[in-house]
Amino acid sequence: MNLYEFEGKELLKAGGVTVPRSSLLRGAEELPKSIPYPLFAKTQILSGGRMEAGGVVLAKESAALGEAVENFLGKTIKGWPVIGVLLEEKVAYESPEYFVSFTADPDTRRVLFSLSDKGGTGVEDRPVIKVPIDVDTPEFPDTPVPSDVLKRLFGVFTANDCILLEVNPLVQNAKSEEWVALDAKVVLDDSAFPRHPKWQYPERPSAPDHKVSPREVRAREIDRGDHRGTAGSTYLDLEGDIAMLPSGGGASLTAMDALNRLGGKPANYTEYSGNPTGEKVKQLVSVVVSKPGLSALWVVGAVANFTDINETLRGLIEGLRDARKELGLPIDYPVVIRRAGPRDTEAYAMLSEVKDFDLHVSGEETSIEESAKKIVALADAYRKKHAR
Amino acid sequence: MHIERNMPAEIKKLIPDNPRVLIQGATGKEALRAIPAMRSYGTTVVAGVTPGKGGQTVEGVPVFNTVREAIASEGSVNMVVQFVPPIRALTATEESLEAGIPFILIGAEKVPVHDALRMVKMARAKGALLIGPSSVGMIVPRKGLKLGMIGGDTPTRTFSEGSIAVLSKSGGMTSEIAHLLKKSGLGVSFAAGLGGERIPGTDLADALIILEEDPSTEASIIFGELGGVAEEHVARAVKEGAIKKPVVSFTVGEFVSLLPHAMPFGHTGAMLERGKGGVKEKRALLKEAGVLVAEKFDDIPKLLAGVL
Repeated sequence: MNLYEFEGKELLKAGGVTVPRSSLLRGAEELPKSIPYPLFAKTQILSGGRMEAGGVVLAKESAALGEAVENFLGKTIKGWPVIGVLLEEKVAYESPEYFVSFTADPDTRRVLFSLSDKGGTGVEDRPVIKVPIDVDTPEFPDTPVPSDVLKRLFGVFTANDCILLEVNPLVQNAKSEEWVALDAKVVLDDSAFPRHPKWQYPERPSAPDHKVSPREVRAREIDRGDHRGTAGSTYLDLEGDIAMLPSGGGASLTAMDALNRLGGKPANYTEYSGNPTGEKVKQLVSVVVSKPGLSALWVVGAVANFTDINETLRGLIEGLRDARKELGLPIDYPVVIRRAGPRDTEAYAMLSEVKDFDLHVSGEETSIEESAKKIVALADAYRKKHAR
Repeated sequence: MHIERNMPAEIKKLIPDNPRVLIQGATGKEALRAIPAMRSYGTTVVAGVTPGKGGQTVEGVPVFNTVREAIASEGSVNMVVQFVPPIRALTATEESLEAGIPFILIGAEKVPVHDALRMVKMARAKGALLIGPSSVGMIVPRKGLKLGMIGGDTPTRTFSEGSIAVLSKSGGMTSEIAHLLKKSGLGVSFAAGLGGERIPGTDLADALIILEEDPSTEASIIFGELGGVAEEHVARAVKEGAIKKPVVSFTVGEFVSLLPHAMPFGHTGAMLERGKGGVKEKRALLKEAGVLVAEKFDDIPKLLAGVL
């Protein structure tokens, strides 16, 4: 999960790293008087490059600040909604502006420590430090930034299961000589949520210009309270008319690629895997088929290792029947199924009895690629017949 | 680019002459399902461990409270398969590494990244091999060795014996590729789901380098996804001459580049970061290094036929 600057700074502060005095405005409350002018008004968005995009203003007095805040709130910058404005004291410094980051690095499979001095002159002569260090016994190289400051930053990185902790810039206060983090970019490890009950961060967009659709919200809710398998944790509405119900991370991408290559247009992306209950599949089906203007539904996966094919495909049929009954959807388009694995013989027998949908069932003898060809052709035929 | 490889593990760690397997998390639902399938395939499961459940027997396997107790009672162990929850995987891995076991397969998904970093560090120090986290399992048909859920209850349906190694970030696609090989009259020398995590114990390149020493493996297939650096590592290792046997790659997630913005897809590792890790870039890198790149899944056998 990506954190906003103010959330990242809360973690830094708790870890003993000095941050500027600040106050967060979420609405048109009265402007706080605790921070002396001039002060920075910084939009809170999940993206860097705010300065260039006009998302940071230095206000000299309250009228200018009021105007800036009013201007920012409710706006979108670089495709990201502004969820608040951080008012922050202006720190005086003469030190260079340092870039410091810690990353859980896939390349070295260690923590990558980077430090560079990007401000001021002579940047070419000053080397960028990039050193892998151990997550439990870090050894820092000599840098212009004192090691106790780096240790505290690293402490925040480890205590909070960060994938990334980046401070840019880190400067030295000219008066107090304290090292101060003027910005903070933090990415938390989603897998570490179970051991951080304090992480009560609200939902946030995962990409710029991405409007979370009601279907996406419903899909994400399916896994709540039931930990067997996963269904719908990723869901995205797309432009096409072929509804997608793929299984497995790898197979779902394989299927999407095959469909695109053949000119088929997916109506959504989602995925279920890890042997979810039939109930979860049923719920995901009702989300997927609720999209208007569909010409086909593709239920596709690799030969499963442990997902119960009978239970999950029963969930499919129940979901289709519910959608027809409760949502009043005709669902008269072709449903192409390519599934194999545990209990598939029972599944095929069960499906052969289903007469109320236009099912096209195959198992492992048909490849994902061949199944893609089938659904593209059937969707074309359906579209022609219905003059879409 | 700075690459730190895992300690070059000898092939005997990956495929021991006499595999003797211990199960951590032996009394859980998944283990109860996996153990009989592993044993009926021919795998020697000597003991199980679940803290607090020592003294029980599950599926004919004696259960102990600790790994050391299990070894003291049942004799040496050279492979561990874990069915423990993600949040306990680090402790379990430390326990097995401290007991001197040179190979651990970690099944849990969603293991915290910092835990994976710690595991990798400790395994490197001990010269041990980790597969996973998030591994569906590993299978060596000629030895009747099956670790984990790979191939389900009837692995012979998808996995036949042969000379091709299958290495995959995706569990489901491991079986799918094995099945494609079987359909094409080919078979598997070794197959493993390496997991699609950010910090894998063994990545594609690590596994390919070890399999250079496997006399049964003539060529390999690697399945990858957008994001991460695994394909980049393979390209580099092939270029450097550390991988000499033929490699066919199939990398998915092309369609994501058609979307207006990068979003997380598929597995945890399948994420584009700062413009890196796109499928097109990966394919180009692999091709340039001399890896055979399959554009379509069904092209894999044709490419293999050219090198066997």
